[in-house]
Amino acid sequence: MNTFASITNPNMKPEEHAWRELQEHASAQLRGGFADRVLRTARGPQDESWRALFAVGSRQLRPGFAERVLRAARAAADMPSLASQFALSAATAAVCLGAVLFVHHRSVEAADERNLAQWQEIVAVAHEDDAGAGL
Amino acid sequence: MESTSTTALADLVRRAQKGDESAQRELVVSYQHRVAGFVYAMTGRSDYVEDLSQQVFIKMIRALDRLQAPAQFESWLFRLARNTCIDQLRRQKLRRIFLPFGEEHENIPEPPGAVDSEELDALRHALAQLRPQDRALLALVQEGRSHAEIAETLETSVAAVKARLHRAREHLREHYQPEHET
Repeated sequence: MNTFASITNPNMKPEEHAWRELQEHASAQLRGGFADRVLRTARGPQDESWRALFAVGSRQLRPGFAERVLRAARAAADMPSLASQFALSAATAAVCLGAVLFVHHRSVEAADERNLAQWQEIVAVAHEDDAGAGL
Repeated sequence: MESTSTTALADLVRRAQKGDESAQRELVVSYQHRVAGFVYAMTGRSDYVEDLSQQVFIKMIRALDRLQAPAQFESWLFRLARNTCIDQLRRQKLRRIFLPFGEEHENIPEPPGAVDSEELDALRHALAQLRPQDRALLALVQEGRSHAEIAETLETSVAAVKARLHRAREHLREHYQPEHET
């Protein structure tokens, strides 16, 4: 029954007219293919959608991808690894520490020798003085 | 037939492990499209695909000699791809926290016109609402990985994989709405 028919139907109560109009207004809001959309949403994504998604991704690779990967892998292999860089740093630090200790040891030794020589001079002078006083 | 191709793949992997560059190239060419599709499903960003796929294959070449079972190459490769994508998404999230106004272009979603159909758009939109781990789970299943392989990848049980997969599918369905308002 259409709106005009329902309005013109003298047997229909006013609230029934109102309900019918409300229903018709609401159903007019639904776009075409409503049932299909509801079913698609309820079923969730289908395999074709997934395939299309993966296909979009695979189209993003520029030609020559494999060559670029192999070149980059070679360049990465030529670069020293983190472990070897760490080992080199540790070896350098050890050599520097050894050099510092060696220089320090040598300078302490030289100072000791100098002090001893000076001390021996003083002792010799003291002996001479004692010998002179004994005369 | 299946076992023949598995044997051929294992041979190819063994040659690549010995440093045979043509075998390495063949592996990259054979898997580049599948890995790129997986990366796109994980990130939803077409501008990440080339870079991340390259990272995956470089890691593959460098770590290939540590692969014990050449027959399990595929699941190993997709594990590398999954971990690379999750690391990237994690870094991106951290960058957003520390540089909220810095690289704003990183937050721009893929324009709707860049994809083919409304269902594809809806799938991308729904995937973007999931956690990266759930996205990876669904993408690995679509990639043809078995529950046992996924369980090995995630270091968990098959039952746990099934439960997580069920939840991920539920979430995906909740967010999946063809012709959603963008």
